[in-house]
Amino acid sequence: MLALLDAWLFAPFEYGFMRRAVVAGLALSLAAPPLGVFLMLRGMSLIGDAMAHAILPGVALGFLFAGFSLPIMSLGGILSGLLVAVLAGSVSQMTGHREDSAMASFFLISLAAGVMLVSLGGSSVDLTHVLFGSILAVDTTALLLIAGIASLIVLALAVIFRALVVECLDPLFLRGQGVRGGVVHGVFLGLVVLNLTAGFQTLGTLMAVGLMMLPATTARFWSQRLEGLIAIAIGVALVASTGGLLLSYHLSLPSGPAIILLAGVAYVLSALFGRQHSLSARWRRRAAPLNAPLSSNR
Amino acid sequence: MARLRLHDLQLARGGQTLLEHLDGSFRDGAITALIGANGAGKSTLIAAIMGMLHPVAGRVECTVPRERCAWLPQQLALDLSFPMSVEELIMTGTWPSHGALKGYCGPHYRRGREIMARLGISHLAHRQLGELSGGQRQRALLGRTLMQEAELLLLDEPFANVDSETVEVLTEVLRDMARAGTTILVVLHDLEQLAHLADDVLMLSGGHGRWVSPEALLDHSTGQAPKAPRLPIDFPEASHAGTA
Repeated sequence: MLALLDAWLFAPFEYGFMRRAVVAGLALSLAAPPLGVFLMLRGMSLIGDAMAHAILPGVALGFLFAGFSLPIMSLGGILSGLLVAVLAGSVSQMTGHREDSAMASFFLISLAAGVMLVSLGGSSVDLTHVLFGSILAVDTTALLLIAGIASLIVLALAVIFRALVVECLDPLFLRGQGVRGGVVHGVFLGLVVLNLTAGFQTLGTLMAVGLMMLPATTARFWSQRLEGLIAIAIGVALVASTGGLLLSYHLSLPSGPAIILLAGVAYVLSALFGRQHSLSARWRRRAAPLNAPLSSNR
Repeated sequence: MARLRLHDLQLARGGQTLLEHLDGSFRDGAITALIGANGAGKSTLIAAIMGMLHPVAGRVECTVPRERCAWLPQQLALDLSFPMSVEELIMTGTWPSHGALKGYCGPHYRRGREIMARLGISHLAHRQLGELSGGQRQRALLGRTLMQEAELLLLDEPFANVDSETVEVLTEVLRDMARAGTTILVVLHDLEQLAHLADDVLMLSGGHGRWVSPEALLDHSTGQAPKAPRLPIDFPEASHAGTA
């Protein structure tokens, strides 16, 4: 039994590439889910997706100039992601359109531009790599970059946490206190871009969003408190990234999809059986007698 | 000298002038009711006082430091699906002294509990805002302004969708705050509440403001709100709300 456990859980990590992969996954799992929780609570769950597309042209440009160099590609990604965020924000401010429509337009343009750039300069293999990543190819440089960005995100989030919470609930209060809500919002979006850039090497530009949003939406079925949501989301992400890696190792599956699908399984199970808002919670509530004390789920 | 004064103020929204030649000062430690028909510019005036709307002409002179100005918005302005408890909301009122980073310590939590007890919401401390009734939520929001130690308090229809017991508690707390020196502006629709609460009245109508005493709006013989408005102003929803 112990031997089996060892063979399944620990033996794979005797390989260097698996150790680096799991550390990268754990670092991302600490940084991404809190961002996802805030995106979800602000009704911006799809913005993560838009931003992921937005970093693609920068990554592609970096790839064209420097080949497969992660720092250069990441830098390009950060710059183009921030550019799209700023452009979308200012276009919506200047034209009065809602920010999401401006964001949608810009991310579609970015996606097309990015795919065009990668195709011009490389083969379809490169395109697949940029779009879907390969966590097993994480080298020491990449690992340091990912861990560095993840630490930066966690620290920055701790600094803006209270402002972000107040801004989500009551932006006018924060403005009344002389804090520009736009600044807090901008820093937050910047962190989202940073996180996606850190994630694209391991999961690809498209699936990096998965580790951010799926744990957050899963947590919504288990907790109604902010701290609870964040803790559960991080837990889900840690399990999904480690479990997905092990599954991909043992069953020869692609690692990125394995990780995200595992988080997806957690989401579906939670939607069915979670404590709050899930199908079974709704069913339980309907079956409760009239004079029963109010349960905590509404 | 009053801490909040208006100097020949002209305000516009969307290119349309709503108020002009607005003058006067709000007495310190007094409750001023802001009345007028829908669209008369009450919320616009509040936005201008809070510095969120630039006047077309004239100016608002406010010597209260910005972080001691509190605005109790209409409840619709809050994102109530955001997970936050009553206690957490009240603790965010420490922003002027604590900002974004400083941690709360024992005395602040004690102050928070005192405020909740004063407002009769101690039992709701850990309840989520989204689960509260309109009245309970309004008490919690006023709790935040108490924590903020507001010196200028602007309330936009604080008694809309609120139960009568809450109206009583809020009225009492507002009176206490005014006694302690807070300048309070409150948008009101109900003449009966005006009779209980207001020391002064600023009436907005036809683009102009007029300062009147609350007594002038009330029936002389009964001291109560008159059945129909007696002043020559178009003031339909006030009498309507008065009977509701």
